[in-house]
Formats: sequence, C-alpha cells, structure tokens
Amino acid sequence: MTPDQLFQLSSPIALLGWIALAASPLAPRAAQIVSAAAIPLLLSVAYSGLVLAFWAGTPGGFSSLPEVQALFTNPQIALAGWLHYLAFDLFVGAWEARTARAEGISHWLLLPCLALTFLFGPAGFLAFAILRFSLVGKILP
Amino acid sequence: MTAVFAAPRLTLASAPNRQLFAVTLAIMLSALPIIVALALDDRVFQDDNVWLKPLKFQVALCIYTGTLAAFAMLLPEDSFASRRWRVWIGVVIAAIGYELIWIGTAAALGTGSHFHVEGIWGLLYGLAGASAVTLTALAATMAPAFWRLRSNPLHLSIAVGLALTFALTVLVAGTMSSRTGHYIGTPITGARFPVFGWSAEVGDLRLPHFLATHAMHAVPLAGLTGSRSAVWVTAAGFTALTLWCFACALQGLPPF
Repeated sequence: MTPDQLFQLSSPIALLGWIALAASPLAPRAAQIVSAAAIPLLLSVAYSGLVLAFWAGTPGGFSSLPEVQALFTNPQIALAGWLHYLAFDLFVGAWEARTARAEGISHWLLLPCLALTFLFGPAGFLAFAILRFSLVGKILP
Repeated sequence: MTAVFAAPRLTLASAPNRQLFAVTLAIMLSALPIIVALALDDRVFQDDNVWLKPLKFQVALCIYTGTLAAFAMLLPEDSFASRRWRVWIGVVIAAIGYELIWIGTAAALGTGSHFHVEGIWGLLYGLAGASAVTLTALAATMAPAFWRLRSNPLHLSIAVGLALTFALTVLVAGTMSSRTGHYIGTPITGARFPVFGWSAEVGDLRLPHFLATHAMHAVPLAGLTGSRSAVWVTAAGFTALTLWCFACALQGLPPF
C-alpha cells in the first residue's frame, strides 16, 4: 500500500471517531470504545509499522528544526507524523467528551471544543481547558 | 453631635452571577493565545498589529461581563437564575462568542471586521451588529432589578448607569455602524490618544462609544457616595460629556 493510499484511508477512519464523539450522548460507552481505544490504537499500529520500516532510512532527527523538517521530506515518515496527529487528537477528544460528561459540562459547549481539537489539536485542548476551568474550576485530570 | 453623612453601605447579598462569572473567566483566559499571536505576528492592519483589536475587545467584553457579574452580588441570590434569565444570558454569551470569533477570524486573515462589507463579510458584519445590540441589551434588561431597590443610592446608580450604557451605546455605536469607518475626517499626522488609540486629530466615534459604554461604571461611582443627588448629577453630567464628545466627533474634531 502506498503512503498516499494509506493517507486516503486514515482520514475517514479518524473522522468516524470524531462523529462518534459528537454523537456520544446517545451512546457514551460505545463512543469511548471507538474513539479512546479502537481507532487510536489502530492508527498507532499503522504509525509504529511505518516508523519501524522507514525511520532508519530517513535523514534528519529531533535536535534542530531543520532536522525535524528533513524528517518530513520522506513521505512515509510524513504520513506517520500525520497518523500521530490523528491518533492523539482523537484520544484527547475522547478525554474531553468523557470529562465533560463526568463533570456535567453541556455537550453543546463541548462540541466547538471537539471541532477545534479535530482541526487544530492543541487549540481545542486549550479551549476545553478554559471552558472546564471557567465552569467547574478544575484544570487537573 | 452625630455625623450626618452615613458611610455608604456596600452589602453583598449573593455570589457573582454564575454564567457571567464563567464567561468572564473564559474570555480572560482566551486572551492568552491572542497575546502570544500579538507577540509573534508582524502583520499590520490600519497601523496596528492585527491582533491588537481582538485583544482590546477581549479586555472590553470581560470588563463588561465581569462588571455585570459583580453587580449581581448586590441583589438577592437567584435574582437572575430563573430559566428565562438563564436562557437570555446564554443568548448574550453566544452573541459575545460570535463577536470575538468574527473579530479573531478577521485578524487571523489580516483583514477588516467592522465596516468590512465585501462578499460574505457583509453578512458577517450584519450579524455582528445584531450581536452587539443583543449583548448591550443585557445591561438594559438587568437595570429594572436594581431600579426596584432604588431607595439605596448604589442600586439607583447601577440602574441608571446600566440604562445609560444601553441608550448611549446604541445611539453612538448605531451611528458609527451606519457610516463607512470610525473616523470623521482624514488623519494626516496620525496623532493618537495613548493606550486607547483614538485620533487626537480628527473626529473618532470610538471615543464617545467608549464613554457611552462606561456609563455603567461612571454613574455607580457616584452611587458609592451614598447621595442620591450625586447620582443624578453624575448621570446628567456624564450624559452631557458623552453627547458633547459625540457632537465633536461628528463635526470631525477631537474633543480635547
């Protein structure tokens, strides 16, 4: 399977997880199974395989910004980086949904945070942290 | 002989309004990433960093909601806790959210928000006008609850201040929005008031807008003296000052 094909496949899979979270009040337990476990783990398996197979042959490293940029010149490693985003963003989104439910934060207020986490990961995490601190006064998990 | 001037009694009857307190905190914290963007972004729109305007609106709106949350402490608990009030305050919070997202998005794109009417921006600007009136109306709708307790000069001053904030802001900001920009005249030297950035050279409707909106702070200060006449004199004087600055701006002149 080419990196392009895997990329084409990964986005709808992640999207499925986000839809499950958006609809999570209907079936909270199922949404968590899908979005906090099944899909992130599936993406993590693909990520790990890509890194095992292609890390050694890729230029660059972690010690400077140009080195990190060089890593992503390899399509397989760039794809792995993308799967990393998809997996971890979804996992964080699932935590947000779980936390909102446990702490009585309205699902309507959670939805924009989920959208933001889906599109711009950490910005959505920050938005949820602000929402949660403003409503419940909590910042720690 | 006993003192004739009784010290004003600032009796807090309840906790801050929950919804308004939460939104104040949320606006304050959401300024953090905007401050980072302000520090990192070199883009300029109309002589200011693109992120200055979103930050100014965050400051202004959290002062507004914070003040209203604090004023509610002077009324009995649950004065604004009925279902109708909670829905209405929710609508206002949505309007505030829209306003901030609209201004923030325009900043991120390096383009204008107010007075920007090309294409989709015209629709967004129209919605922002409706949101602005909605969020300012919260002040007016809270005023009667204080007016009922007007035998206390502080409650009187808050009722009058809130009503003036709504009336004067709708007048000044409504006039401003019917024009194509906040300046009346064309600045040449670019002389401006420090911090606030209003033109010190030509008419700038943002100055009377600022005064109009802060009636809810100016008049209650007089209420703290405990004198009912001080409240009415301050309300009249502040209204006159606002209208005078408004008139100056309309003639294309800075007031000072």
